[in-house]
Amino acid sequence: MTGIRALETESVQAQKLARRVSLTQWTSWVLCLIALTSLAALVLVLIHESWPVWRVAGIDYLAGKQWLSSRHLFGAAPMIYGTMAVAIIALGCAAPIGIGAAICTSELLPRRARLTVKILVELLAGVPSVVYGLLGVLVLRGWVYDLLEPLDPLSGDTLLTGGLLVGVMILPTILTLSDDALRGVPASLRAAARGLGLNARETICRVVLPQAIPGIIAAILLALGRALGEMIAVFLVVGRQDNQWPERLWSVTPLISPGQTLASKLGGSEIHIAHGDPLHWAAMVGLGLLLLGMAGGAAAAAFLLQQKQLRHAQAS
Amino acid sequence: MQLQTAFFVLAITHASCHLAQANPAALRINGSTTVNLPVAEAAEILRSEAQLAITIDTQGGSSGGVSLLGDGRIDIGMSSKPLSQTDRSRFPKISFHETRIGEDAVALIVSKDVWNGGVRSLSKLQAQGIYERRITNWSQLKGPNRRVAFFNKEPGRGTWEIFARWLYGDPNEAPAAAFPEVGGNEECRNRVGATRGAMSQLSASWADGKTVFALGIEVEPGQTVRPTPEALADHSYPMSRPLLLLTDGEPKGNTKRFVDFMLGPKGQQLVAKHGYLSLEQLGRLRSSPSGRGSN
Repeated sequence: MTGIRALETESVQAQKLARRVSLTQWTSWVLCLIALTSLAALVLVLIHESWPVWRVAGIDYLAGKQWLSSRHLFGAAPMIYGTMAVAIIALGCAAPIGIGAAICTSELLPRRARLTVKILVELLAGVPSVVYGLLGVLVLRGWVYDLLEPLDPLSGDTLLTGGLLVGVMILPTILTLSDDALRGVPASLRAAARGLGLNARETICRVVLPQAIPGIIAAILLALGRALGEMIAVFLVVGRQDNQWPERLWSVTPLISPGQTLASKLGGSEIHIAHGDPLHWAAMVGLGLLLLGMAGGAAAAAFLLQQKQLRHAQAS
Repeated sequence: MQLQTAFFVLAITHASCHLAQANPAALRINGSTTVNLPVAEAAEILRSEAQLAITIDTQGGSSGGVSLLGDGRIDIGMSSKPLSQTDRSRFPKISFHETRIGEDAVALIVSKDVWNGGVRSLSKLQAQGIYERRITNWSQLKGPNRRVAFFNKEPGRGTWEIFARWLYGDPNEAPAAAFPEVGGNEECRNRVGATRGAMSQLSASWADGKTVFALGIEVEPGQTVRPTPEALADHSYPMSRPLLLLTDGEPKGNTKRFVDFMLGPKGQQLVAKHGYLSLEQLGRLRSSPSGRGSN
């Protein structure tokens, strides 16, 4: 009898537990739904508000090289170019350093040292971007200006300055996520590689890195998302010059000239003039939609790659 | 777990209520960085002396002041340019009321190397030449052999509108020119000071004579006017402008209290302290026998 009672009590407890879990699940679903609805609403509002410019300018809104609000000419191509240029320069600087540092922390450093480095790097990731922006104004701008002196730049505010600054800002993201990706490679693979006679360098290059590649690319893509959307720091050092479409797309000259990114345009005072003029307003909101699309695309690709690596790790 | 969930929901509700009620009675001010200097100090005094809750910002400069007031999101807009008909027609529901608290001049400023290189004044034609990129090197103006690095104030900034009105009669007539842009006065001074061969437009009282220098304007061949208080008062300097507080209709309640403070002796002292012309100085200069104009 005592045994049966004990069993009954257990089953009642299990039912209670199930109910509690279901409440948690219910809350999670609601919160998840709120998040998804907000995102959908955001996209719908941006599409709705920017609709006039898509209707009037069509593809010229994306391909047009002239943004002259007084003449109702809205071409976002120079800003898309500026955004991509800043992001590519940033990744060009931050990716090799970040991945190299991640190999060092995950494969070479002892556990305690690794944790110390990770904590310090994650602290760096938490520094507000306006602080980076001020450092950019105080240090980086003058440094780039003096460095480029032989090339006679107009000023120190260039796409290159913006790119270097964003590079510093996304370095922690790349480092810490690449480190996670490398740590995610099963230890058994390392042991097997060593067992086959590979030395430490060969194990890292031939076994660990290829396994971690999807995760590292995901880290780069997530950093790209941040680089594309960074506003205030870029705003302070990029020069904010409109219509800087390069004559030759791969030329270096436009990179050492002032430019404009989607985010820096949105951060300026033009949004206040645009208010009240439906087409101008739509063109400004359209820039927001483009930015969301680019950053969102990078984040989605990163997510898919991370999932792929996770499945890969589980399978092996 | 239930307790945690309940607590979580409570916390969210509490936070949202708190946000919704965040300082409902605060006097909200936004606009020009030029007008901001005396107004921010006045706000500081009124906060401590009269316990007035005041929030103040310079988002978007003068056009930010106009459009946020037009949207009903602030109580007082600061503007360093007179309101245009376009501004009024954009917000037909708002009856804009201007209160002038002082007078200022827009100066053409250059960096130290240009000033030391001998460029001390510009004519309107020369300024147009720079804006239309016909003059691209200071040597064309008998200055140093260096490229002209022109920084344009963002369109919509009061300073830019006064500059464009002087050059082309109407800001809308200004040619579409792409230059590196600068926003607030601090940014403008900092950027011109740190760049060789630089030039921009800036509130005259911000031209410190150490890092950036105010050029004179050559109004007639051989006759140069500098942005001095006297030249502002008699309108011989072409780029003078009023410093305005904008409200929706006649100021009332706390808004009136603030506007009255700015017009009173303490507020006017603050206007003068920041290098602008107070209303009293303006009146005195205009009525003095040495004043050339008497309008």
